[in-house]
Amino acid sequence: MKRASIIFALLLFALAACSGNDGSSEQNESGDNNTLSVWAWNINVPVIEKAAEMFAEDHPGFELNIVETGTPDVYQKITTGLQANGEGLPDVMLVEDDRLQGYLNSFPEAFVNLSEKGFADDHMDKFPEYKTELLSKDGDMYGFPFDSGPAGVFYRVDLFEEAGIDANAIETWDDFIEAGKVLRDELDVALTGIDINNDDGVYRLMLNQQGTFYFDEEGNVDLTSEESVKAMNVIQQLSEEGLNENLVGWDAWIGGLANGTVATAPSGAWLSGSLTGQAPDMEGQWGVFPLPAMEEGGNRAANLGGSNYMISSNSEKVDLAYEFMEFFSTSDEVQLYAMENGLFPSLNTIYTEDVFSEEVAYFNDQPIWTMFADLIEDVPYANYTGDYSLARDEATKAQSRAADGNDPAEALEEAAKQLENRLNK
Amino acid sequence: MKQSKKFPYLFIAPAVILFIVFTAYPIIASLYLSFQTYEGGSYSFAGLSNYTRLLEDSIFWKALGNTFIIFILQVPIMLLMAMALASVLNSQLLKLKGFFRVSFFLPAVTSLVAYSLLFSIILQDNGILNTLLNAIGIENIPWLSDPFWAKISIVMAMMWRWTGYNMIIFLAALQNIPDHMYEAASIDGAGKIRQFFSITIPNLKPIILFAGILSTIGTLQLFDEPFNLTQGGPADSTMTLGLYIYENGFEYFDFSYGSAVAYVVVVLVAILSYFQFKVTGEKS
Amino acid sequence: MMNTNKSKRGLGKVGMYALLLLFLVISIFPFYWMLVGSTNTSDKMFTSPPTLLPGSEFMTNLNNLDATVGIWRVLFNSLLVSGVYVVIALAVSATSAYAFAKYDFKGKNVIFTIFILSMMIPYQATLIPLFQMMSSYNLLNTYFALIAPQLCYPFAIFLMRQNFAAFPTELMESARLDGASELKIFMKIVLPSMKPALAATSIFLFMFQWNNFMWPLVAITSQDMYTFPVALSTLNGVSFTDYGQVMVGITIATIPIMIFFLVLQRHFISGMLGSAIK
Repeated sequence: MKRASIIFALLLFALAACSGNDGSSEQNESGDNNTLSVWAWNINVPVIEKAAEMFAEDHPGFELNIVETGTPDVYQKITTGLQANGEGLPDVMLVEDDRLQGYLNSFPEAFVNLSEKGFADDHMDKFPEYKTELLSKDGDMYGFPFDSGPAGVFYRVDLFEEAGIDANAIETWDDFIEAGKVLRDELDVALTGIDINNDDGVYRLMLNQQGTFYFDEEGNVDLTSEESVKAMNVIQQLSEEGLNENLVGWDAWIGGLANGTVATAPSGAWLSGSLTGQAPDMEGQWGVFPLPAMEEGGNRAANLGGSNYMISSNSEKVDLAYEFMEFFSTSDEVQLYAMENGLFPSLNTIYTEDVFSEEVAYFNDQPIWTMFADLIEDVPYANYTGDYSLARDEATKAQSRAADGNDPAEALEEAAKQLENRLNK
Repeated sequence: MKQSKKFPYLFIAPAVILFIVFTAYPIIASLYLSFQTYEGGSYSFAGLSNYTRLLEDSIFWKALGNTFIIFILQVPIMLLMAMALASVLNSQLLKLKGFFRVSFFLPAVTSLVAYSLLFSIILQDNGILNTLLNAIGIENIPWLSDPFWAKISIVMAMMWRWTGYNMIIFLAALQNIPDHMYEAASIDGAGKIRQFFSITIPNLKPIILFAGILSTIGTLQLFDEPFNLTQGGPADSTMTLGLYIYENGFEYFDFSYGSAVAYVVVVLVAILSYFQFKVTGEKS
Repeated sequence: MMNTNKSKRGLGKVGMYALLLLFLVISIFPFYWMLVGSTNTSDKMFTSPPTLLPGSEFMTNLNNLDATVGIWRVLFNSLLVSGVYVVIALAVSATSAYAFAKYDFKGKNVIFTIFILSMMIPYQATLIPLFQMMSSYNLLNTYFALIAPQLCYPFAIFLMRQNFAAFPTELMESARLDGASELKIFMKIVLPSMKPALAATSIFLFMFQWNNFMWPLVAITSQDMYTFPVALSTLNGVSFTDYGQVMVGITIATIPIMIFFLVLQRHFISGMLGSAIK
């Protein structure tokens, strides 16, 4: 019987151990009235922490309970919570641009309408138009704009010099491809590191700069537009001319940029943070020029990525959450701090600050922030719709097919047909 | 006598209660979900529409096809390799047995995060694997970007992770085959390879069935590898049923449809397991 | 004749070791590389040619990791959750498996079949209903929520049942004739001979819970409840990943499960044996 009693003792201990902790860590669910729970990740965390410190000066006792989960895992948590009618969600959560409309359309009741709280009336003009439109549904705003990803082409100054290419002379995507051929022939270096089968970011940038997207303004599938075919043609040329090194996934891409496999990266301003963080010893070797235009003299502004905060309708502290997030998104001081952390703020009242005209040593003493701030005003609105994920899935497959040598127009037609099918379930 | 009648019920009670609450309920709830449809924030009854939609869904069929290709490529080769390793490790002469055993089993204990990080970097175009192949004169292989090689990569990654695991299972069974059978065969002049096929494999039949069914379940639910390495691409060439369920639920917010796919998986596993029982001639 | 035979055997042995060595390199290399990563700074992961030797940054990476996710708390949570889970799940599996293997009762085959069939349901499909249930009883973010859902683990029951089935029924009968109670027979006669089976089963249970990711990811809503897989996922962010930290995290996450396996592996083999023969 000795053995039995040992086992039962263990069992009792075990049960006691797990039930003893039952209620201990629930402080973020109800807790005290002056604490907000927030889901965010990575470099966003220190920014919102700092904002909470500043906010607490006027609101004694105010505190944040931040839960950090990486992307894309955090979306699994958010989706699960939304499916369960908002249960288990925090008061405030960070949501990236490309996910936002999907959530808003599928779970219309789940987020607090900020227009009703007066946000749109008070602050709308402080943010770029593409952003406020993205955060709106039926004329009402549901998200606090945070960072943006005004795009440019990050390039290796030293390699360009070695190959005798003038970055300032690259004005169109055709010029860009020509430069790529020189890099290929002279230095045996790839121009881009696009993950052809998984990431259509560059194609999307080209859609965005031409003022189109997967969907037109009414929400109809628009993958076969003239602009779209042109964009896909560029991707095909990059691939067929051997100018693209297919780097699969984020790690490989950053690796390729850091070890000199790839000489340029058309991307959002946030890439600067990754470069300085992941390849600190490359100071002076990188520069940025604006996205090439599709035709000479065409629009060179587009956006890739960016994120926003949303308040859960389930929150018991909607007013506090609104007050804090309003402060967060419109305080110059907070947004400048975000800037220091490598996030490009959408709040345009700070673009005149000194930091924006500073020359950045890492980027060959180029004042890159002025460039991005100038570009952001011209970013056209992209209609993501609630079906963005499906559209991206099909567009990415079209990209694979085009890179494989199929006619881009046909690949896009096929994608449009598939997408229509999937939307008409 | 009375006590012994009540006794088994008492003993299965904890398992049954836990099962009903935490397993049966979610399963039934998701089955119910598969007959619903979600539109703009609420569910409504949709009959069999999710299931009829499957019939015309080309991605579903592609996923089904991929899953079978991966299954056919992976399971037999892996089980054979595991058996070969197990019989080598079972040999009396070998030194450092414990060391090898643990080393081969190690991949099976890695977590999703570790596994994905390690393999996605190793399999890059300019990753360490291609660098090594270049050194022996083989040109770069597009491990993750070509529809054919992407499937091979998934199969390789699965083999890396699960061969040692199955090896341990076989090793256990091998220790049960009496040595005198091999001795007798040696006297009759049968070589090692012949012995492997005429003694080892027939004796391992029940455990092969066991490992085979576990691998069938694992492959049909295959999720980790495509999720981490290829996201189902290029052009759905590594889309699996497990990944499609996940994407429908968490990317496209269509849990009802995802649940319908899940129940197709259940039926398929049941059918395949039945055939494996038939083929190996076991009576359940 | 003697000679050729001997050299042939020698050759076979060389071949055998060559095969083992090849597999050894394949199995171990990623782990070695993990070690290299955890002892170097993040940017070393991308040098060309690759960095293949361990560096001296382990402590720096460890401190950074601790600052980001509180690694000791994570270790404690993981050990607690997995430890408690293994003990309870083992008790649940052993008792039910014993009943399935050694008793006849109404519904036995039906229940057992349902248990086994449930293994075939892809877990992605049951995530949402389970979450809703836990949420409506206010159990999210508790150790209970992490431990309870898979306590009835059909594979473990299956494994234990095979082992119990191999136990000679005559021994039980004679104990019964001696007047021993059913509980006493289980505890004092059957269970003591089941050590290997329990070891094997607990390895499977521990592996499952230690690496469990999807469910803890959604069930945990505060940082101080993080287990290893969830904590490591927080290091995967949008623009900057510190691989030094990630690799240290993976290293620490791998060591306990290696130890667990090393300690129990001898029993593990014979525990699996019981399941092979009926």
